[in-house]
Amino acid sequence: MNISGKDIALWFIQNFVWLLAGAFFIVFSVTLGGMFFNLNNLHFIFYVSSMIGMLVLAESIALISGNFDLSVAQNAGLTAMLTGVLIIKFNIPGLVAVFLTIIIGGILGAFNGYFIGKRGLNPFLVTLSTYLMFDWLTYVIRQTSILDLPGIYMFPGQGKIGGIYAAIFIFLIAAVLLFLFLKKATYGNYIYAVGGNPDATVMVGVNAGNVVFWVFVLSGALSGVAGLLYTGYAGAVTSTLADGKMFMAFAGAIIGGISLAGGRGTATNAVGGIILIGIIEAGLTMMMISPQMQGFLKGVLVFVAILINQFRTTFRKRLLMPS
Amino acid sequence: MEKSLQASEKRSGKVPDNASSEELVKMEGIHKWFGEVHALRGVDFSISRGTTVGLIGDNGAGKSTLIKILAGLIERDRGKIYYRGKEVEIESVRQSQQLGIETVFQEQAIVDPLSVARNIFLGREEVHSAGFGKIMDDDKMLEETEELMDELNLDIASPDQEAEFCSGGERQGVAIARAMFFDADVLILDEPMRALSVSGKEKVEDYIGKAREQGTGIIYITHDLHRVYPVADRFVFLSRGEKEMDVKKEDCSLDELSKLYRRGEE
Repeated sequence: MNISGKDIALWFIQNFVWLLAGAFFIVFSVTLGGMFFNLNNLHFIFYVSSMIGMLVLAESIALISGNFDLSVAQNAGLTAMLTGVLIIKFNIPGLVAVFLTIIIGGILGAFNGYFIGKRGLNPFLVTLSTYLMFDWLTYVIRQTSILDLPGIYMFPGQGKIGGIYAAIFIFLIAAVLLFLFLKKATYGNYIYAVGGNPDATVMVGVNAGNVVFWVFVLSGALSGVAGLLYTGYAGAVTSTLADGKMFMAFAGAIIGGISLAGGRGTATNAVGGIILIGIIEAGLTMMMISPQMQGFLKGVLVFVAILINQFRTTFRKRLLMPS
Repeated sequence: MEKSLQASEKRSGKVPDNASSEELVKMEGIHKWFGEVHALRGVDFSISRGTTVGLIGDNGAGKSTLIKILAGLIERDRGKIYYRGKEVEIESVRQSQQLGIETVFQEQAIVDPLSVARNIFLGREEVHSAGFGKIMDDDKMLEETEELMDELNLDIASPDQEAEFCSGGERQGVAIARAMFFDADVLILDEPMRALSVSGKEKVEDYIGKAREQGTGIIYITHDLHRVYPVADRFVFLSRGEKEMDVKKEDCSLDELSKLYRRGEE
């Protein structure tokens, strides 16, 4: 197999997020020494990243299909609240409740999917309204925390397998499955196709509306699992469980190189985006940077990511355009 | 897979002699309304195997509406469609494709971020069983695309190349290759030369010639008479949703056709 300079350049621009993550990791390791560069810290970075990671995957699939979803974090919060209430009201077994989060998240996503995919409504407007509905419905249902939840229900978010947080495994399995689904399944191919050119996809006989519907169901199910993991992390269901996470879900996907125009991006690069954010968050916290300044710096990071993505797209086109 | 075997037989030129003049599609009294607009007013249309029909007319004449009905993108309000002598209902693109009707739309149904191979097989991917379900067989799709590119002299660097990096002519070639691979009995080309360079146009003419040699019935939609005249055997002229003329090439010179066309536009 011949590997040309062009192939190497393409690999670098396609996996740029991993290089950036590596660079920040080295910078923080050198600056902070053993406080940053130790296994416990890395373990914790991955643990925290796995929760927001589920939301980034949920957002990524919506973006790849040429849509977007403002309601992923609020879906996670509402799913966690609904499941928590069902557990205490109907004494639902913990294991059943675990799977219930996937179903409830999927149903909430189906609401978006129906109006966007089947009725052709604008995804921004639909998910903006569901963002508000899901957010406030969480408070309407219950304003106090639910603490007394079954151990098995809490396990995915706080338990460990072989000393490693189960949440990390759950996230990695979800990311790998999503990666394979998008790359190898025909339906995954349709998601890219709908994102790249929905009209063309319809013209070759693919039901694009159906594809978009199922994208939002899947996005909702992933958000539901995020709600499950956040519950375990917090040790309770609270009405503010996923507040403020919507921004990070977008940021992770954008930094990971998922195209806002649709049709491009991979689940693996989205994972890179999540890990990069996790490393930066942990590093800044250890450097005693104030939360306010951290918030500002995250904004800067997203802005830089947008510029990098634009450069990456232009450079990639230049490399691939036949002379 | 039977379909692609038939397709490869067809591509190799093994078309039965007795099928050479078979009427493939016949549309009778087709009506279509878009709200108050009566877009098609009882149009009759037919095409036989191995022939090319130039479907001509000005913007708004009803050409695209007629072929969208045949392609399964929209449904007719009245009229009958026969496929190889049998009355059929075409309610979706899939149904149209299953009959053997393939369409190359003027909007070019190409998805930029997908590879040439994935574009050709989009909606009808080659799959293999992976135990838990079916997954796409990329190797097979790449291999078959490569063969198809050779047959059509489609000069694209690789079947794995993203369609975004194909020229206008190559993109039309990809759309035509898709139609040919899936054994198109009837190939509908909607303004196939639009926005193409001179060499791109020549390439597309070459693809059309090859499809016709293989017995495909071609419906060539355009308002460029100079382009369609050399390649078509018959001309159907639509004006304001009605069929104004249906004439064989031997009965009509290009000048006469141009005059009729101008008169019809007035």
